[in-house]
Amino acid sequence: MTIKIAWRNIWRNKIRSLIIIVSVSSGLLAGMAVISLYEGMMRSRVRTVIETETGHIQIHQKNFLNDRMTEYYIPNPQLISDHLKNDMSVRAFSERTISEGMLSTASGVSGVSIIGILPQNEIIVSGLDQKIKEGFLIPREDINGILIGKKLSQKLKIHLGQKIILTVTDSAGNLTSSAFRLRGIYQSDNALIDEVNVYVSQQSIQAMLTLKNQIHEISVLLKSDEQMDECLRRYKIKFPDLAIDSWKSLSPETNLLVTTVDYYSFIILVILFIAISFGIMNTMMMSVLERRYETGMMMALGMGKYKIMYMIILETIFLSIISIPVIIPMALMTIQYYGEKGIDLSGMGKDMMYSFGFETTIYPVFPIEKLPSLIILLFITAIISSILPTWKSVQNSPIQALRN
Amino acid sequence: MEKRAKQSDTGIEKLNSKDATVIDAHNISKTYNPGGIPIRAIKNIHLHLSKGEFVALVGPSGSGKTTLLNMIGGLDQPDSGSILINNTDITRLSQAKLVKFRLHHIGFVFQSYNLIPVLTAQENAEFIMLLQKIKKFKRNERIDMLFQAVGLSDKKNVRPSQLSGGQQQRVAVLRALASKPQFVLADEPTANLDSEAAFNLLDIMLKLNKEEGMTYIFSTHDQRVIDRVKRVIKLVDGEVVSDKITDIL
Repeated sequence: MTIKIAWRNIWRNKIRSLIIIVSVSSGLLAGMAVISLYEGMMRSRVRTVIETETGHIQIHQKNFLNDRMTEYYIPNPQLISDHLKNDMSVRAFSERTISEGMLSTASGVSGVSIIGILPQNEIIVSGLDQKIKEGFLIPREDINGILIGKKLSQKLKIHLGQKIILTVTDSAGNLTSSAFRLRGIYQSDNALIDEVNVYVSQQSIQAMLTLKNQIHEISVLLKSDEQMDECLRRYKIKFPDLAIDSWKSLSPETNLLVTTVDYYSFIILVILFIAISFGIMNTMMMSVLERRYETGMMMALGMGKYKIMYMIILETIFLSIISIPVIIPMALMTIQYYGEKGIDLSGMGKDMMYSFGFETTIYPVFPIEKLPSLIILLFITAIISSILPTWKSVQNSPIQALRN
Repeated sequence: MEKRAKQSDTGIEKLNSKDATVIDAHNISKTYNPGGIPIRAIKNIHLHLSKGEFVALVGPSGSGKTTLLNMIGGLDQPDSGSILINNTDITRLSQAKLVKFRLHHIGFVFQSYNLIPVLTAQENAEFIMLLQKIKKFKRNERIDMLFQAVGLSDKKNVRPSQLSGGQQQRVAVLRALASKPQFVLADEPTANLDSEAAFNLLDIMLKLNKEEGMTYIFSTHDQRVIDRVKRVIKLVDGEVVSDKITDIL
């Protein structure tokens, strides 16, 4: 009966209840939108890191990542290559010869990371061909071709076909330079990479470094993200003398973003729900104060304080969660729609997002596993909002309430 | 006086004796201080009521009728004195026990009906029985009988706002009577009713008083009520000035 009274009580003043239901719904929608946008951004960032920057796993000589010296190349790369070719979890892998060096043009100089690639492998592992904005991806046999990032091309004001000099320190410690022609300009989602990384054929850089078929890095793209931890474990056992790292340690800033995004969304949700709770509390206070005589009469008839309190708490909970069956499916459908279509945020800050390594089109995703916690949070909000009205409802004795 | 008492689950002793004193108010006084000026609402009243009595507390406004009724019903506490109900001093009960006491022993009828607006007439009438956790079939049986007795069988599913004043007061009386309380305390129950409705209501209460032996105490200055009760206790300025058995029956 208490449930029945509580349910009917919330419809005594329909407009007032509807206003609060709409405000709770808006808060819930906003909360889900925030979570979905964050999740979409993070997933997109992780995909960018995996599919265009690091791959799932990278293999190096143990000292290479600390000090990118020419001599820290991977010993016996063929052994690793054979192993990866036979590993069913591996979708593709790319071997790279890397050197730090100096890029000079007629208009300027810049420190760069020169990556010697096998173009056909990079197409799969890092999608390099998809990033070409001007020109084309250097063919394997093009030993004089070079690709640079858009940011670097703008900085040094270089155009396609222009001559570029690369200077590196070879394996004997001698400075050596070679001339290249700019064949293509690429643009990734990460401005930092675009300013530093330049691509040449593996053959050319190996010749400059006087390395014979030596490589510094193997980037491995797996068939699914879920296989990463298992592969990492296996490779570490198989190649104990090499450094085997996942994208999480290769791109710690992305991993930090992913792990902290839950906290950010939680904080935003709490702020939203605190605002909502004041609205609920105000409505319930009005409702309780209007019904002081009635609650006094109920107590006079033999309804205990705890039952009255239970009734008020129920009313608050009903007001708070009544919209859930409608709003959550609506929100999920909307998120699904935009998750497929994408939300183009380029008008809001394309350069800023690019400089932070984010795509400008966000595909929101609502992690369904967060739905129970969202509902629990709303439930807690309702309980907290009901404390003051509930306390107020049993403040007067029956006789005081009836006299008033 | 033959009395046999049994401890109930509410801490209130139930009465089994036919002629026992069920209410024994001893030397009770009550003073209010509205705006800092003390007003003695009840002055050293002694009152004894037996089971099955049909009593009216009469007197002018401000004579202390409602205050006395509220104290008997455990809604208000006297400043001094004791109120023994079935040999239990209710002035010493905690608020929680008083709530249980009211729930299980007293039926209240208020002057202004006080029905719960969101419940139907039947749900209002069942309210106390529901709090007492009485089974549905027993509730339905009782409610059907009472609604039939007051001629409101066709209004059971109607909300109070759709009932006339007389009909609402009848439902309020049904609510008080439905759980068969030991006492029915009615504060000016006929004040807002026309004569026909008032007589109708009194007939029902008299009938149930005879059939079920409930004790009725009215606070009233309505002559229509006074003419039909068995005992009239007159209060003036918080004191009992007369206590008469009428020859109505």
